[in-house]
Amino acid sequence: MNKDIIWLKIYTNGYYNLLLKLNDIGITILDNKKYKDYILIKTSYKDYERIKKYLISYKIEIYDSAGYLKIKDIVKKYRIFIMGLFLGFIILLITNNLILKVEIKSPNKNIQNLLVSELKNYGLSPLRFKKSHNKIEKIVENILDNNNELLEWLEIKYDGLVMIVNVTEKTNNEENKTYDNCDIVARTDAKIASLNIYRGVALKEINDYVLKDEVILSGSITFNDEVKNSVCASGEVYGEVWYKVKVTVPFKETVVKYTGKNRYNLKLKINDDEYQIFRSRIQNKKEKKINLYKLNDFEINLIKEREYVEEDIILSEEEAYNKAISIAEEKIKLKLRDNEEILVKKVLKKQVNDSTIYLEIFIVMKENIGVVKVVEGVNPNDTQSDPESIR
Amino acid sequence: MKNLHFREFFKNFLYDLNNFITVYENHLHVYNYQKLNKLSSTEIILTLDDKQITITGDNLKIKQMTKQELLIDGVILKVEFKYE
Repeated sequence: MNKDIIWLKIYTNGYYNLLLKLNDIGITILDNKKYKDYILIKTSYKDYERIKKYLISYKIEIYDSAGYLKIKDIVKKYRIFIMGLFLGFIILLITNNLILKVEIKSPNKNIQNLLVSELKNYGLSPLRFKKSHNKIEKIVENILDNNNELLEWLEIKYDGLVMIVNVTEKTNNEENKTYDNCDIVARTDAKIASLNIYRGVALKEINDYVLKDEVILSGSITFNDEVKNSVCASGEVYGEVWYKVKVTVPFKETVVKYTGKNRYNLKLKINDDEYQIFRSRIQNKKEKKINLYKLNDFEINLIKEREYVEEDIILSEEEAYNKAISIAEEKIKLKLRDNEEILVKKVLKKQVNDSTIYLEIFIVMKENIGVVKVVEGVNPNDTQSDPESIR
Repeated sequence: MKNLHFREFFKNFLYDLNNFITVYENHLHVYNYQKLNKLSSTEIILTLDDKQITITGDNLKIKQMTKQELLIDGVILKVEFKYE
Protein backbone atom coordinates (compact mmCIF):
# COMPACT_ATOMS: atom_id res chain seq x y z
CA MET A 1 0.00 0.00 0.00
CA ASN A 2 1.20 3.44 -0.88
CA LYS A 3 1.35 5.61 2.19
CA ASP A 4 1.75 8.87 0.27
CA ILE A 5 -1.81 9.29 -1.00
CA ILE A 6 -2.94 12.78 -1.94
CA TRP A 7 -5.94 14.60 -3.35
CA LEU A 8 -5.06 16.77 -6.37
CA LYS A 9 -7.07 19.76 -7.46
CA ILE A 10 -6.81 20.13 -11.23
CA TYR A 11 -8.49 23.18 -12.77
CA THR A 12 -10.32 22.17 -15.95
CA ASN A 13 -13.76 21.99 -17.51
CA GLY A 14 -12.87 18.98 -19.68
CA TYR A 15 -13.40 16.09 -17.26
CA TYR A 16 -13.34 13.32 -19.90
CA ASN A 17 -10.48 14.86 -21.81
CA LEU A 18 -8.37 15.04 -18.68
CA LEU A 19 -9.13 11.44 -17.72
CA LEU A 20 -8.13 10.25 -21.20
CA LYS A 21 -4.85 12.10 -20.87
CA LEU A 22 -4.25 10.65 -17.41
CA ASN A 23 -4.98 7.19 -18.81
CA ASP A 24 -2.51 7.77 -21.65
CA ILE A 25 0.30 8.55 -19.24
CA GLY A 26 -0.63 5.58 -17.02
CA ILE A 27 -1.88 7.37 -13.92
CA THR A 28 -3.72 5.37 -11.27
CA ILE A 29 -6.86 7.09 -10.05
CA LEU A 30 -8.17 5.81 -6.73
CA ASP A 31 -11.14 8.17 -6.64
CA ASN A 32 -12.28 11.36 -8.30
CA LYS A 33 -14.90 14.07 -7.84
CA LYS A 34 -16.12 16.35 -10.58
CA TYR A 35 -16.86 20.01 -9.85
CA LYS A 36 -17.75 22.93 -12.08
CA ASP A 37 -14.28 24.40 -12.56
CA TYR A 38 -12.05 21.70 -11.21
CA ILE A 39 -11.66 18.00 -10.59
CA LEU A 40 -10.41 16.38 -7.41
CA ILE A 41 -8.34 13.28 -8.06
CA LYS A 42 -7.09 10.88 -5.44
CA THR A 43 -3.78 9.44 -6.50
CA SER A 44 -0.28 8.69 -5.25
CA TYR A 45 2.44 11.28 -4.76
CA LYS A 46 4.55 9.43 -7.33
CA ASP A 47 1.79 9.83 -9.94
CA TYR A 48 1.43 13.50 -8.96
CA GLU A 49 5.02 14.05 -10.07
CA ARG A 50 4.26 12.35 -13.41
CA ILE A 51 1.14 14.50 -13.88
CA LYS A 52 3.17 17.65 -13.18
CA LYS A 53 5.76 16.50 -15.71
CA TYR A 54 3.35 15.64 -18.56
CA LEU A 55 0.33 17.87 -18.06
CA ILE A 56 2.13 21.18 -17.96
CA SER A 57 -0.77 23.20 -19.32
CA TYR A 58 -3.01 22.40 -16.31
CA LYS A 59 -3.04 24.27 -13.05
CA ILE A 60 -2.51 21.61 -10.41
CA GLU A 61 -2.29 21.91 -6.68
CA ILE A 62 -2.34 19.53 -3.73
CA TYR A 63 -5.78 19.81 -2.15
CA ASP A 64 -5.38 17.45 0.78
CA SER A 65 -3.26 14.57 1.85
CA ALA A 66 -4.06 11.20 3.36
CA GLY A 67 -2.20 8.52 5.28
CA TYR A 68 1.43 9.21 6.10
CA LEU A 69 1.45 12.56 4.29
CA LYS A 70 -1.56 13.71 6.30
CA ILE A 71 0.29 12.97 9.56
CA LYS A 72 3.34 14.76 8.20
CA ASP A 73 1.19 17.80 7.33
CA ILE A 74 -0.44 17.86 10.79
CA VAL A 75 2.95 17.66 12.49
CA LYS A 76 4.21 20.46 10.27
CA LYS A 77 1.14 22.60 10.92
CA TYR A 78 1.10 22.14 14.71
CA ARG A 79 4.84 21.85 15.19
CA ILE A 80 5.03 24.69 17.73
CA PHE A 81 2.21 23.24 19.82
CA ILE A 82 3.70 19.73 19.64
CA MET A 83 7.15 21.03 20.56
CA GLY A 84 5.65 23.00 23.46
CA LEU A 85 3.79 19.93 24.67
CA PHE A 86 6.94 17.82 24.38
CA LEU A 87 9.04 20.42 26.20
CA GLY A 88 6.37 20.78 28.88
CA PHE A 89 6.36 17.03 29.40
CA ILE A 90 10.16 16.99 29.71
CA ILE A 91 10.06 19.89 32.21
CA LEU A 92 7.33 18.07 34.17
CA LEU A 93 9.46 14.92 34.24
CA ILE A 94 12.53 16.86 35.34
CA THR A 95 10.76 18.85 38.05
CA ASN A 96 9.10 15.70 39.35
CA ASN A 97 12.35 13.78 39.55
CA LEU A 98 14.83 16.41 40.67
CA ILE A 99 16.13 17.00 44.19
CA LEU A 100 16.34 20.72 44.98
CA LYS A 101 17.08 20.49 48.69
CA VAL A 102 18.29 17.87 51.13
CA GLU A 103 16.85 18.25 54.63
CA ILE A 104 18.52 16.20 57.36
CA LYS A 105 16.40 16.02 60.49
CA SER A 106 19.11 15.92 63.13
CA PRO A 107 20.31 18.64 65.51
CA ASN A 108 23.81 17.12 65.52
CA LYS A 109 26.05 18.96 63.04
CA ASN A 110 28.49 16.05 62.82
CA ILE A 111 25.70 13.65 61.87
CA GLN A 112 24.43 16.17 59.31
CA ASN A 113 27.86 16.50 57.69
CA LEU A 114 28.39 12.75 57.76
CA LEU A 115 25.06 12.10 56.04
CA VAL A 116 25.59 14.84 53.45
CA SER A 117 28.89 13.30 52.40
CA GLU A 118 27.51 9.74 52.51
CA LEU A 119 24.48 10.69 50.41
CA LYS A 120 26.69 12.56 47.96
CA ASN A 121 28.68 9.37 47.40
CA TYR A 122 25.45 7.67 46.30
CA GLY A 123 24.45 10.57 44.04
CA LEU A 124 21.84 12.05 46.37
CA SER A 125 22.53 15.77 46.52
CA PRO A 126 20.77 18.94 45.32
CA LEU A 127 20.21 19.22 41.54
CA ARG A 128 20.57 15.46 41.07
CA PHE A 129 17.81 13.08 40.04
CA LYS A 130 15.81 11.11 42.59
CA LYS A 131 16.51 7.39 42.99
CA SER A 132 13.95 4.61 42.91
CA HIS A 133 12.52 3.14 46.10
CA ASN A 134 14.61 -0.04 45.80
CA LYS A 135 17.84 1.90 45.32
CA ILE A 136 17.00 4.13 48.30
CA GLU A 137 16.47 1.06 50.47
CA LYS A 138 19.90 -0.29 49.48
CA ILE A 139 21.55 3.10 50.10
CA VAL A 140 19.96 3.30 53.58
CA GLU A 141 21.17 -0.23 54.32
CA ASN A 142 24.73 0.59 53.20
CA ILE A 143 24.88 3.86 55.17
CA LEU A 144 23.63 2.11 58.33
CA ASP A 145 26.19 -0.67 57.83
CA ASN A 146 29.05 1.80 57.35
CA ASN A 147 28.07 3.86 60.42
CA ASN A 148 26.54 1.28 62.71
CA GLU A 149 28.29 2.80 65.75
CA LEU A 150 26.69 6.21 65.18
CA LEU A 151 23.35 5.62 63.53
CA GLU A 152 20.44 3.66 64.90
CA TRP A 153 17.84 4.25 62.22
CA LEU A 154 17.65 6.10 58.92
CA GLU A 155 14.80 6.95 56.56
CA ILE A 156 14.89 8.79 53.24
CA LYS A 157 11.70 10.13 51.71
CA TYR A 158 10.67 12.75 49.19
CA ASP A 159 8.31 15.65 49.68
CA GLY A 160 8.01 17.29 46.27
CA LEU A 161 11.48 18.48 45.36
CA VAL A 162 12.79 18.15 48.90
CA MET A 163 14.56 15.01 50.08
CA ILE A 164 13.92 14.49 53.79
CA VAL A 165 16.35 12.36 55.78
CA ASN A 166 15.07 11.24 59.17
CA VAL A 167 17.79 9.87 61.40
CA THR A 168 18.09 8.52 64.93
CA GLU A 169 21.49 8.50 66.59
CA LYS A 170 22.68 5.71 68.80
CA THR A 171 22.44 6.74 72.41
CA ASN A 172 22.77 5.07 75.79
CA ASN A 173 19.68 3.07 76.51
CA GLU A 174 17.69 5.07 79.04
CA GLU A 175 15.10 2.37 79.46
CA ASN A 176 17.50 0.09 81.26
CA LYS A 177 18.49 2.79 83.69
CA THR A 178 18.11 1.46 87.20
CA TYR A 179 17.49 3.41 90.34
CA ASP A 180 19.32 2.82 93.57
CA ASN A 181 16.26 2.50 95.75
CA CYS A 182 12.75 2.01 94.53
CA ASP A 183 9.50 0.26 95.42
CA ILE A 184 6.79 -1.32 93.31
CA VAL A 185 3.47 0.29 94.18
CA ALA A 186 -0.10 -0.30 93.01
CA ARG A 187 -1.20 1.78 90.09
CA THR A 188 -4.86 1.41 91.05
CA ASP A 189 -7.10 -0.27 93.60
CA ALA A 190 -7.05 -4.01 92.96
CA LYS A 191 -6.96 -7.53 94.31
CA ILE A 192 -3.57 -9.16 93.72
CA ALA A 193 -3.89 -12.09 91.30
CA SER A 194 -0.23 -13.06 90.82
CA LEU A 195 3.19 -11.96 92.07
CA ASN A 196 6.54 -12.55 90.38
CA ILE A 197 9.35 -11.03 92.45
CA TYR A 198 12.71 -10.45 90.80
CA ARG A 199 14.20 -8.18 93.45
CA GLY A 200 12.94 -6.72 96.74
CA VAL A 201 10.64 -7.82 99.56
CA ALA A 202 6.93 -8.59 99.08
CA LEU A 203 4.73 -6.73 101.53
CA LYS A 204 1.52 -8.19 100.09
CA GLU A 205 0.36 -11.66 99.13
CA ILE A 206 -1.88 -13.11 96.43
CA ASN A 207 -5.60 -12.33 97.04
CA ASP A 208 -4.68 -9.28 99.19
CA TYR A 209 -6.54 -6.07 98.39
CA VAL A 210 -4.34 -3.05 97.67
CA LEU A 211 -5.16 0.61 97.35
CA LYS A 212 -3.67 3.02 94.86
CA ASP A 213 0.00 3.89 95.63
CA GLU A 214 0.24 1.19 98.28
CA VAL A 215 3.66 -0.53 98.32
CA ILE A 216 3.55 -4.14 97.10
CA LEU A 217 7.27 -4.83 96.68
CA SER A 218 9.67 -2.88 98.85
CA GLY A 219 13.26 -2.06 97.95
CA SER A 220 14.25 -1.63 101.60
CA ILE A 221 15.64 -4.84 103.13
CA THR A 222 14.91 -4.79 106.86
CA PHE A 223 15.94 -6.98 109.73
CA ASN A 224 14.53 -6.44 113.18
CA ASP A 225 12.83 -3.23 111.96
CA GLU A 226 16.18 -1.87 110.85
CA VAL A 227 16.94 -1.12 107.18
CA LYS A 228 19.95 -3.22 106.32
CA ASN A 229 20.13 -2.59 102.61
CA SER A 230 18.30 -0.74 99.80
CA VAL A 231 17.72 -2.04 96.28
CA CYS A 232 15.47 -1.15 93.38
CA ALA A 233 12.59 -3.57 93.66
CA SER A 234 11.47 -5.27 90.48
CA GLY A 235 8.82 -7.78 89.64
CA GLU A 236 5.50 -8.39 87.91
CA VAL A 237 2.33 -7.78 89.87
CA TYR A 238 -0.97 -8.71 88.28
CA GLY A 239 -4.17 -7.72 89.94
CA GLU A 240 -7.89 -7.96 89.36
CA VAL A 241 -9.15 -4.50 88.49
CA TRP A 242 -12.84 -3.61 88.30
CA TYR A 243 -14.42 -1.41 85.70
CA LYS A 244 -17.97 -0.25 85.16
CA VAL A 245 -18.70 0.46 81.49
CA LYS A 246 -21.81 2.32 80.36
CA VAL A 247 -22.99 1.77 76.78
CA THR A 248 -26.01 3.10 74.91
CA VAL A 249 -26.91 1.56 71.53
CA PRO A 250 -29.68 2.90 69.27
CA PHE A 251 -32.07 0.38 67.69
CA LYS A 252 -31.98 2.25 64.40
CA GLU A 253 -28.61 2.10 62.68
CA THR A 254 -27.47 3.66 59.41
CA VAL A 255 -25.18 1.46 57.36
CA VAL A 256 -23.13 2.66 54.39
CA LYS A 257 -23.18 0.29 51.39
CA TYR A 258 -21.06 0.76 48.27
CA THR A 259 -22.93 0.30 45.00
CA GLY A 260 -19.79 -0.64 43.04
CA LYS A 261 -20.10 2.41 40.79
CA ASN A 262 -16.77 4.22 40.61
CA ARG A 263 -15.69 7.37 38.78
CA TYR A 264 -12.30 8.96 38.40
CA ASN A 265 -11.61 12.67 38.56
CA LEU A 266 -8.66 15.03 38.73
CA LYS A 267 -8.15 17.64 41.39
CA LEU A 268 -5.66 20.47 41.41
CA LYS A 269 -4.52 21.74 44.76
CA ILE A 270 -2.94 25.18 44.79
CA ASN A 271 -1.97 26.26 48.29
CA ASP A 272 -5.03 25.13 50.25
CA ASP A 273 -7.55 25.65 47.47
CA GLU A 274 -8.79 22.61 45.56
CA TYR A 275 -10.13 22.72 42.00
CA GLN A 276 -12.00 19.77 40.50
CA ILE A 277 -11.32 19.32 36.77
CA PHE A 278 -14.39 17.28 35.75
CA ARG A 279 -17.93 17.56 37.00
CA SER A 280 -18.80 14.79 39.42
CA ARG A 281 -21.82 12.70 38.47
CA ILE A 282 -22.07 10.82 41.74
CA GLN A 283 -24.26 12.29 44.47
CA ASN A 284 -23.21 10.36 47.57
CA LYS A 285 -19.56 9.50 47.30
CA LYS A 286 -16.47 8.74 49.29
CA GLU A 287 -13.19 9.82 47.80
CA LYS A 288 -9.81 8.15 47.69
CA LYS A 289 -6.90 10.38 46.72
CA ILE A 290 -3.78 9.29 44.80
CA ASN A 291 -1.08 11.92 44.41
CA LEU A 292 0.21 12.12 40.83
CA TYR A 293 2.41 15.19 41.06
CA LYS A 294 3.57 17.49 43.78
CA LEU A 295 5.67 20.60 43.58
CA ASN A 296 5.79 22.75 46.72
CA ASP A 297 2.17 23.89 47.24
CA PHE A 298 0.96 22.64 43.86
CA GLU A 299 -0.52 19.15 43.64
CA ILE A 300 -2.28 17.08 41.00
CA ASN A 301 -4.35 14.31 42.53
CA LEU A 302 -6.28 11.46 40.95
CA ILE A 303 -9.56 11.04 42.80
CA LYS A 304 -11.45 7.76 42.91
CA GLU A 305 -15.08 8.46 43.73
CA ARG A 306 -17.04 5.51 45.14
CA GLU A 307 -20.81 5.78 45.19
CA TYR A 308 -22.59 4.63 48.33
CA VAL A 309 -26.10 4.44 49.67
CA GLU A 310 -27.15 4.74 53.27
CA GLU A 311 -29.47 2.06 54.56
CA ASP A 312 -31.33 2.12 57.85
CA ILE A 313 -31.28 -1.12 59.79
CA ILE A 314 -33.58 -1.75 62.74
CA LEU A 315 -31.91 -3.92 65.38
CA SER A 316 -33.88 -6.27 67.58
CA GLU A 317 -33.49 -5.98 71.33
CA GLU A 318 -31.21 -9.04 71.39
CA GLU A 319 -29.01 -7.70 68.56
CA ALA A 320 -28.70 -4.30 70.27
CA TYR A 321 -27.88 -6.03 73.58
CA ASN A 322 -25.11 -8.14 71.94
CA LYS A 323 -23.77 -5.09 70.19
CA ALA A 324 -23.58 -3.13 73.44
CA ILE A 325 -21.66 -6.00 75.08
CA SER A 326 -19.18 -6.16 72.18
CA ILE A 327 -18.70 -2.35 72.26
CA ALA A 328 -17.94 -2.53 75.99
CA GLU A 329 -15.45 -5.35 75.39
CA GLU A 330 -13.79 -3.40 72.57
CA LYS A 331 -13.44 -0.37 74.86
CA ILE A 332 -11.75 -2.46 77.52
CA LYS A 333 -9.56 -4.38 75.05
CA LEU A 334 -7.98 -1.11 73.96
CA LYS A 335 -6.34 -0.99 77.41
CA LEU A 336 -5.08 -4.57 77.31
CA ARG A 337 -1.34 -5.26 77.16
CA ASP A 338 0.66 -8.52 77.13
CA ASN A 339 -0.61 -11.19 79.52
CA GLU A 340 -3.64 -9.09 80.43
CA GLU A 341 -7.16 -10.43 79.96
CA ILE A 342 -10.84 -9.97 80.79
CA LEU A 343 -11.75 -12.31 83.64
CA VAL A 344 -15.41 -11.55 84.29
CA LYS A 345 -18.12 -9.50 82.63
CA LYS A 346 -21.60 -9.03 84.07
CA VAL A 347 -24.50 -6.80 83.16
CA LEU A 348 -25.48 -4.75 86.20
CA LYS A 349 -28.25 -2.70 84.69
CA LYS A 350 -30.31 -3.00 81.50
CA GLN A 351 -32.71 -0.28 80.46
CA VAL A 352 -34.72 -0.46 77.21
CA ASN A 353 -36.15 2.80 75.88
CA ASP A 354 -38.15 3.52 72.72
CA SER A 355 -35.15 4.01 70.52
CA THR A 356 -32.13 2.88 72.58
CA ILE A 357 -30.88 0.24 74.93
CA TYR A 358 -28.70 1.24 77.91
CA LEU A 359 -26.36 -1.21 79.65
CA GLU A 360 -24.09 -0.90 82.66
CA ILE A 361 -21.52 -3.67 82.51
CA PHE A 362 -19.21 -4.72 85.32
CA ILE A 363 -15.88 -6.02 84.00
CA VAL A 364 -13.03 -7.58 85.95
CA MET A 365 -9.66 -7.43 84.25
CA LYS A 366 -6.35 -9.03 85.02
CA GLU A 367 -3.89 -6.17 84.73
CA ASN A 368 -0.28 -5.41 85.48
CA ILE A 369 -0.74 -3.00 88.38
CA GLY A 370 2.87 -2.58 89.52
CA VAL A 371 4.67 0.71 88.88
CA VAL A 372 8.11 1.78 90.02
CA LYS A 373 8.27 4.50 92.66
CA VAL A 374 11.70 5.91 93.46
CA VAL A 375 12.55 6.24 97.12
CA GLU A 376 14.47 9.46 97.58
CA GLY A 377 17.03 10.52 100.19
CA VAL A 378 19.14 7.39 100.05
CA ASN A 379 22.89 7.51 99.45
CA PRO A 380 23.54 5.58 96.23
CA ASN A 381 26.87 4.29 97.56
CA ASP A 382 25.07 2.52 100.33
CA THR A 383 22.59 0.75 98.08
CA GLN A 384 24.69 -2.03 96.48
CA SER A 385 22.60 -5.15 96.44
CA ASP A 386 22.84 -8.77 95.48
CA PRO A 387 19.49 -9.77 93.94
CA GLU A 388 20.04 -13.51 94.37
CA SER A 389 20.49 -13.24 98.10
CA ILE A 390 17.45 -11.05 98.55
CA ARG A 391 14.91 -13.35 96.97
CA MET B 1 -6.46 -2.06 -7.30
CA LYS B 2 -2.93 -1.38 -8.29
CA ASN B 3 -1.39 -3.51 -5.61
CA LEU B 4 -3.71 -6.46 -5.60
CA HIS B 5 -1.78 -8.48 -8.15
CA PHE B 6 -1.77 -11.48 -5.90
CA ARG B 7 -5.54 -11.52 -5.89
CA GLU B 8 -5.65 -10.96 -9.64
CA PHE B 9 -3.24 -13.80 -10.20
CA PHE B 10 -5.62 -16.17 -8.45
CA LYS B 11 -8.55 -14.70 -10.34
CA ASN B 12 -6.77 -15.39 -13.62
CA PHE B 13 -5.84 -18.83 -12.45
CA LEU B 14 -9.41 -19.66 -11.47
CA TYR B 15 -11.18 -18.03 -14.41
CA ASP B 16 -8.53 -18.90 -16.94
CA LEU B 17 -9.32 -15.66 -18.73
CA ASN B 18 -7.08 -12.87 -19.92
CA ASN B 19 -9.73 -10.28 -19.40
CA PHE B 20 -13.33 -9.97 -18.26
CA ILE B 21 -16.11 -7.47 -17.67
CA THR B 22 -18.39 -7.49 -14.63
CA VAL B 23 -21.59 -5.50 -14.63
CA TYR B 24 -23.09 -4.34 -11.32
CA GLU B 25 -26.00 -2.01 -10.73
CA ASN B 26 -24.74 1.38 -12.02
CA HIS B 27 -21.16 0.05 -12.12
CA LEU B 28 -19.07 -1.76 -14.68
CA HIS B 29 -15.71 -3.30 -13.93
CA VAL B 30 -13.31 -4.02 -16.80
CA TYR B 31 -10.26 -6.13 -16.13
CA ASN B 32 -7.14 -6.13 -18.30
CA TYR B 33 -8.11 -3.66 -21.00
CA GLN B 34 -5.56 -2.54 -23.53
CA LYS B 35 -6.62 0.95 -24.39
CA LEU B 36 -9.18 3.55 -23.56
CA ASN B 37 -10.17 4.90 -26.95
CA LYS B 38 -13.03 7.24 -26.17
CA LEU B 39 -14.48 8.70 -23.04
CA SER B 40 -17.61 10.80 -22.75
CA SER B 41 -20.66 11.02 -20.51
CA THR B 42 -22.70 8.79 -22.87
CA GLU B 43 -20.14 6.50 -24.49
CA ILE B 44 -16.91 4.76 -23.51
CA ILE B 45 -14.93 2.72 -26.06
CA LEU B 46 -12.25 0.24 -24.93
CA THR B 47 -9.97 -2.24 -26.65
CA LEU B 48 -9.64 -5.72 -25.14
CA ASP B 49 -7.33 -8.17 -26.99
CA ASP B 50 -9.14 -8.93 -30.25
CA LYS B 51 -12.33 -7.02 -29.57
CA GLN B 52 -13.59 -3.53 -29.11
CA ILE B 53 -16.18 -2.80 -26.43
CA THR B 54 -18.58 0.09 -26.54
CA ILE B 55 -20.39 1.01 -23.32
CA THR B 56 -23.38 3.23 -23.78
CA GLY B 57 -25.17 4.98 -20.93
CA ASP B 58 -25.97 8.20 -19.14
CA ASN B 59 -23.75 10.30 -16.96
CA LEU B 60 -20.85 7.87 -17.32
CA LYS B 61 -17.79 8.57 -15.21
CA ILE B 62 -14.55 6.83 -14.39
CA LYS B 63 -14.61 6.00 -10.69
CA GLN B 64 -11.26 4.24 -10.50
CA MET B 65 -8.57 3.71 -13.08
CA THR B 66 -5.25 1.87 -13.32
CA LYS B 67 -3.22 0.64 -16.30
CA GLN B 68 -5.13 -2.64 -16.22
CA GLU B 69 -8.50 -1.97 -14.71
CA LEU B 70 -11.39 0.43 -15.00
CA LEU B 71 -14.38 0.98 -12.75
CA ILE B 72 -17.08 2.87 -14.60
CA ASP B 73 -19.88 4.59 -12.73
CA GLY B 74 -23.19 5.76 -14.23
CA VAL B 75 -26.38 4.46 -15.81
CA ILE B 76 -25.28 1.65 -18.09
CA LEU B 77 -27.72 1.04 -20.95
CA LYS B 78 -25.80 -1.16 -23.36
CA VAL B 79 -22.49 -3.06 -23.70
CA GLU B 80 -21.50 -3.91 -27.28
CA PHE B 81 -18.73 -6.23 -28.46
CA LYS B 82 -17.16 -5.86 -31.88
CA TYR B 83 -14.67 -8.52 -33.02
CA GLU B 84 -11.95 -7.49 -35.44
